[in-house]
Amino acid sequence: MSQKKYWKGLGELNETAVHQESTSNEFKGDLPFDLSGNLLDAQTPRRDFLKYLGFSTAAAMLAASCEMPVRKVIPYAIKPEDITPGVPNFYASTFVDNGDYCAIVIKTRDGRPIKIEGNSKSSITKGGTSARVQASVLNLYDKARLRQPYIDNHESTFEAIDRAVTAALAANTKPAYLVTGSILSPTTKEVINQFTIKFPTVKHIVFDAVSYSGMLQANEACYGKRTLPSYHFDKAQTIVSLGADFLGTWLSPVEFAKQYSVGRKISASNLKMSKHYQVESNHTTTGAKADERAVCRPSEMGTVAVALYNAITTGEAPKLGNDKLNEVVAKAAADLKKGNGLVVCGANDVNIQTVVNAINNAVGANGTTVNWAVTSNYRQGIDADMVNMVNAMNAGEVGAVFFHNVNPVYEYYQASKVLEGLKKVPLTVSFAERRDETAKECKYIIPDHHYLESWGDAEPKTGYFSLMQPGIAPIFKTRAFQDNLMAWAGNTTTYAQYWNQYWLTKMGSQQAFDIALQEGIIEPTGEMAMGGATFSGNVSNAISGIKKPLSGGKEIFVYEKIAIGRGAGYSNNPWLLEMPDPMTKATWDNYALVSPKTAADLGAELTSINEVDAKKHVVKLTVNGISMELPIVVMPGMHNEVVAVALGYGRSKEVGRAADNTGKNAYPFISYNGNNFENFTAVAIEKTELVYPVAITQTHLSYEGRPILHEYTIEEFSKDPKVLWNEREAEIGHYTHLPWAEKDSKEETGISDEGRDPMEEGFRENGTLYPNYESHGIHWGMSIDLNTCVGCGNCVMACQAENNVSVVGKTEVLKSQEMHWIRIDRYFSGMPDDPNSITTVFQPMMCQHCDNAPCENVCPVAATPHTNEGLNMMTYNRCIGTKYCANNCPYKVRRFNWLDWNGADCFDDNLYEDYRRDDMNDDLTRMVLNPDVTVRSRGVMEKCTFCVQRLQYAKLEAKKAGRPLMDGEAKTACQQSCPTDAIQFGNTKDKESNIYKLRNKEQMERKFYVLEQIHTLPNINYLALIRNNESIVGGDVTKDGLMNEHI
Amino acid sequence: MHLKYESFVREPLVNGEKTYHQVTEEIVRPIEQKPGRMWYVGFFFSVALLMLGVFSVTWEVYYGIGVWGINRTVGWGWDITNFVWWVGIGHAGTLISAILLLFRQGWRTGVNRAAEAMTIFAVMCAGQFPVFHMGRVWDAGFIFPLPNSRGPLWPNFNSALLWDVFAISTYFTVSLLFWYSGLIPDFATVRDRAKTKLRKRLYGIASFGWTGSAKNWQRHEALSLVLAGLSTPLVLSVHTIVSFDFATSVIPGWHATIFPPYFVAGAIFSGFAMVQTLLIVCRRIVGLEDYITVGHIEAMNKVIVLTGSIVGVAYLTELFMSWYSQVIYEQDAFKWRIMGPYWWSYWAMMTCNVVSPQLFWFKKLRRNIPFTFIMSIVVNIGMWFERFVIIVTSLYRDYLPSSWTYYSPTWPEVGFYLGTFGLFFTCFFLFAKYFPVIAIAEIKFILKTSGESFKHKMDVIHEKPTEQFVHEQAEAHH
Repeated sequence: MSQKKYWKGLGELNETAVHQESTSNEFKGDLPFDLSGNLLDAQTPRRDFLKYLGFSTAAAMLAASCEMPVRKVIPYAIKPEDITPGVPNFYASTFVDNGDYCAIVIKTRDGRPIKIEGNSKSSITKGGTSARVQASVLNLYDKARLRQPYIDNHESTFEAIDRAVTAALAANTKPAYLVTGSILSPTTKEVINQFTIKFPTVKHIVFDAVSYSGMLQANEACYGKRTLPSYHFDKAQTIVSLGADFLGTWLSPVEFAKQYSVGRKISASNLKMSKHYQVESNHTTTGAKADERAVCRPSEMGTVAVALYNAITTGEAPKLGNDKLNEVVAKAAADLKKGNGLVVCGANDVNIQTVVNAINNAVGANGTTVNWAVTSNYRQGIDADMVNMVNAMNAGEVGAVFFHNVNPVYEYYQASKVLEGLKKVPLTVSFAERRDETAKECKYIIPDHHYLESWGDAEPKTGYFSLMQPGIAPIFKTRAFQDNLMAWAGNTTTYAQYWNQYWLTKMGSQQAFDIALQEGIIEPTGEMAMGGATFSGNVSNAISGIKKPLSGGKEIFVYEKIAIGRGAGYSNNPWLLEMPDPMTKATWDNYALVSPKTAADLGAELTSINEVDAKKHVVKLTVNGISMELPIVVMPGMHNEVVAVALGYGRSKEVGRAADNTGKNAYPFISYNGNNFENFTAVAIEKTELVYPVAITQTHLSYEGRPILHEYTIEEFSKDPKVLWNEREAEIGHYTHLPWAEKDSKEETGISDEGRDPMEEGFRENGTLYPNYESHGIHWGMSIDLNTCVGCGNCVMACQAENNVSVVGKTEVLKSQEMHWIRIDRYFSGMPDDPNSITTVFQPMMCQHCDNAPCENVCPVAATPHTNEGLNMMTYNRCIGTKYCANNCPYKVRRFNWLDWNGADCFDDNLYEDYRRDDMNDDLTRMVLNPDVTVRSRGVMEKCTFCVQRLQYAKLEAKKAGRPLMDGEAKTACQQSCPTDAIQFGNTKDKESNIYKLRNKEQMERKFYVLEQIHTLPNINYLALIRNNESIVGGDVTKDGLMNEHI
Repeated sequence: MHLKYESFVREPLVNGEKTYHQVTEEIVRPIEQKPGRMWYVGFFFSVALLMLGVFSVTWEVYYGIGVWGINRTVGWGWDITNFVWWVGIGHAGTLISAILLLFRQGWRTGVNRAAEAMTIFAVMCAGQFPVFHMGRVWDAGFIFPLPNSRGPLWPNFNSALLWDVFAISTYFTVSLLFWYSGLIPDFATVRDRAKTKLRKRLYGIASFGWTGSAKNWQRHEALSLVLAGLSTPLVLSVHTIVSFDFATSVIPGWHATIFPPYFVAGAIFSGFAMVQTLLIVCRRIVGLEDYITVGHIEAMNKVIVLTGSIVGVAYLTELFMSWYSQVIYEQDAFKWRIMGPYWWSYWAMMTCNVVSPQLFWFKKLRRNIPFTFIMSIVVNIGMWFERFVIIVTSLYRDYLPSSWTYYSPTWPEVGFYLGTFGLFFTCFFLFAKYFPVIAIAEIKFILKTSGESFKHKMDVIHEKPTEQFVHEQAEAHH
């Protein structure tokens, strides 16, 4: 061993004292405190002091600034048997709003209804819903609902009201009236009956704000029955509608749309299609779907009906206002004579309806398309009853009046008379759910339950019953309307008990009752019974009773919008208010609809300003001394002498925030002709200097002849079913035969190309330089039939309810910042000045889930990827909001959270918005949110997900059951609610699936993809529109004057 | 090497009988003096504008992008228009310093410092827009490829927007380095002349201990060349990549292969116009007419007329291609540009960018300073409209007519834009006060070859017979 010494420094070499000292203390571990004395007196070195100061300040800051808001979650102490958090429960029930009926299933999550589905067991609505049914769940959580009973607008109790009302009723000697809307419920009728027996002074009258009294009276005169028949649009080969918007608002549109779609489904192998004629004054969705359409003045409708009658019975050629009208009536008459015809009419006039009955009788419709064996109860009101009651009130002859589901101070044509009359009635009671215009004037307000909180039943058609069960216990201190009557009649049971007993008895056993309740409906088995009736109407009297049409001047026509209908609680439903009207695409307001020519004549012509600026010219409408100022909205296809105004707007703040300052009330434009309410009258119209912005989501009218949709006449299509196929082949066919195409790629990946379209496959693989990603397992796809889509907007509402789509308010819609995930594009074609030439197409448009999605590759942070099931996904957490994806989307279906609409943001107090949508952020309203779907915060992109939460749910259920997913188990919200089944959805790789068969067999010829040629490879296909007429106007430069107009 | 003799045909790049000292005096004097009244007024207005911008952006970040006018169809409006416009402006500086350095263009020395400063400030302004146009700006970090625990999750390298981030940040870094390395000898000059301790210290730090030794100069020259080499491709790449934001999309009017060269030409066009705007004002206020001469202005006007013509050809090519493609969406996109509700923006662009710069074919107008000034502003308005036309008028009417809409900006968008002017001019005023506006060292470098004073000394040579001159030149090179 060497004795060499290695040293690190001179200190170590020389082993100095200092070095020895420092090495021995190398790891000195003294505390920085001087512990020699009292600890509290100890000196802390400056650096340590600073360290501690720094640490404690930082800790305090961290603790203070990271305080999380306290969120209240109340767990179940004992879990209810049938509620599992996170698992939805479904209850069959019934939507009833006066005479409007729909069999539904309520989806509840954690004890609260969040979504309405159609009940497919019902033979009437067959699983369809309407936009209003979909949105009705939001009314349950309406902040403007009354939370307790009131006496003289002071909070009160039921007991106090019961005492006061029974005393007043007992003392009353004058006639009293119970005014309700049409009542479908047999038990409610029974309860009313008991009540009127107990208090014989009380008379029950029915008031329908939108009246069908003329039909009821005509039927009584012609068939001896004051009722409505059942219509069978499915069995009709020729459908003639004289102003009846039966696909949108007339009587039972869900039922009729379902039936109508049967005759409109067409494929290359089944070329039979019903023929639909429509004569109308405004432009409705029903008119938009018609094969032949002509316009007339509203006052001319009777003359048209007579002309049709004469053409059928005597063969007399019609001599009406315009050639097209004559042509349509003549053609319709010829077709009707072939049998299987159906004529419906929207006029509320006993004479016109008598003529229509005579036509139906003459063409043999009774017993084939008009069914008198099973009658409908949708409307029961007789106009004269209401008018007489109002007169009686004003004469001081009425002792008491009760209002249930009616609001005459708003809905009656002479509101001031009702208002005056009410002052003379000692006992006034309203069962309104909100402090509406009538309730405000009543002494007692006893708010009724919402229908989702109620027990009940309905008999929409004789012998066809539907049960109503609540989806939630009453949220507020409200009481069922029937309970009040029963209590006052001295009945000690509640309506719910009475109802239970009634049905238990009727069903015979508890088991049968349980099944009925579970299914929601009690219907006769088998096909609906069919029967005619003997016509005994006096046609010549009716014809002579029909008033002559106005020969000149403008007429105002009052109509119902698909969204909010007659108004009621829907006037305060932000979903419905923001739903773009299917025809005008306008939101939040009502307006005066006029034709382009009328607008031009008024000096408010259709210029490019309409597409640049939302401000519309305001016109002053004067009817019988009543003036109203409304903005005009131009609607091609309207009669040039007609101004149409929608009902249901112009409410006050008490009806709700959303209803406040929204549009104008059009009820005063209704008139009474001594027998029926008429929804048209002469009007003076003049342009004012004012402008008013109307929030319209689609400002361009024409599709510019672009091949984004395809329409053919039935003749073109029958002659060559491959007409569309050939067009597509010319565009993409050559990719199949590329010399360098990898022909065998499908074998290699193990996917058989049997049944798959070689043209599409070739284009998919060879239309790009990039490799093709074959997906395995499920591949979702959707098909939308443009023939059966009636543009009703139901899917828009279903999507909004299912996917927590934000309401943005009018100010934001004005900036085109609306959020709907699905929109229904509406395109007009034709000559703007000739309303008869206008044809309309609806095209539902949502994320196309492109397999080669332009949005996906441009996102800098990969926030929108693709799944191997063909879904285009949004990762909200990852999105930084560059909006690049939305710009690059050729379909413009991506929606950006421009503002904090849901309070889901991390910034406090930053709601920057229209006060009319404020209620959407209320804790009560937020109960409607679907917990399965993320509430998006500000600054992220969103769009249709194909209801991925539903797909996952269905897959998990299948997995739990240990079997593959079956076709039809996973349904998107839009598909499920569609009343015409225009939307089909499923696994395109499942050969048993509907979508597979549709795409590859049944509808090969009608199938197309929007913007297929840009190789986005969408997973939604459309089926071409086939019109049962002689020529297609759209895209034909000689006939489509809207096309090159700079609108 | 520079010739000892330069013809009189070439006008001098520095006017007046300047000595080296005089050059130093004239350029450094503004730094050492209190600024004039105009400076204070301008600076105040710039800061006020900047504050307006800060307020507008705060408003937008707090409430959301919905306070702007952009919508479901037009997802980019003034924000990206302004971004592209500022980036375009930021092209001239580097072009002047890098490409003209490599091409040995002596005239660049008079303007390169200010042009580079302008580049850096313009890129700073441009950078604000992509940041604050994000819906969730607090998550802007997602865009950087940083190692993370989210999977790991990387940005999408297919996205042109991501390339933008890299392109702009690289460009900014290199431009800043280039600019700063050029400033070092000049900072040292200021330091050496400094009479106050603070100034000496600050400029001492800023000049990195420059001593002016031969080694210093040698390395400085080498660095300049390396950076110039690096910047040259960047000048072309930045706007190429910005154009990819549009060119790689599927929107008619965006999806065009012509975009990269067309964008680069447009960028140089607008960049030179902005240099003109700034220098015409600057030379007047700071009194540097001798250094930034009419000759300089004319040279830049020549670039403007060239690039303006390229841009014009590009516009016409686009029109031709849309017709030639026979794609209706493509044809309609241009139809709606020219004749749709935004027709005025298209014609503003055409007039300002294509028609008016053609006047620069006239030498008289090229050398007319007030005219050049007006024209430089016209060009920048035109170039702003070009970006607006490309972005907004492609989006507002694309494939499905149902979604066609219109777009108008709201006050926070306008405020944001004005705010970037505030930022730009605040920076520029500070630059004009504290930095040598003209590269002192570089201008001295050409003083002896291209300065007016030197040219007078050439009289003797000029009068010599040609043979003798040739002989002497040949001798001198041996």
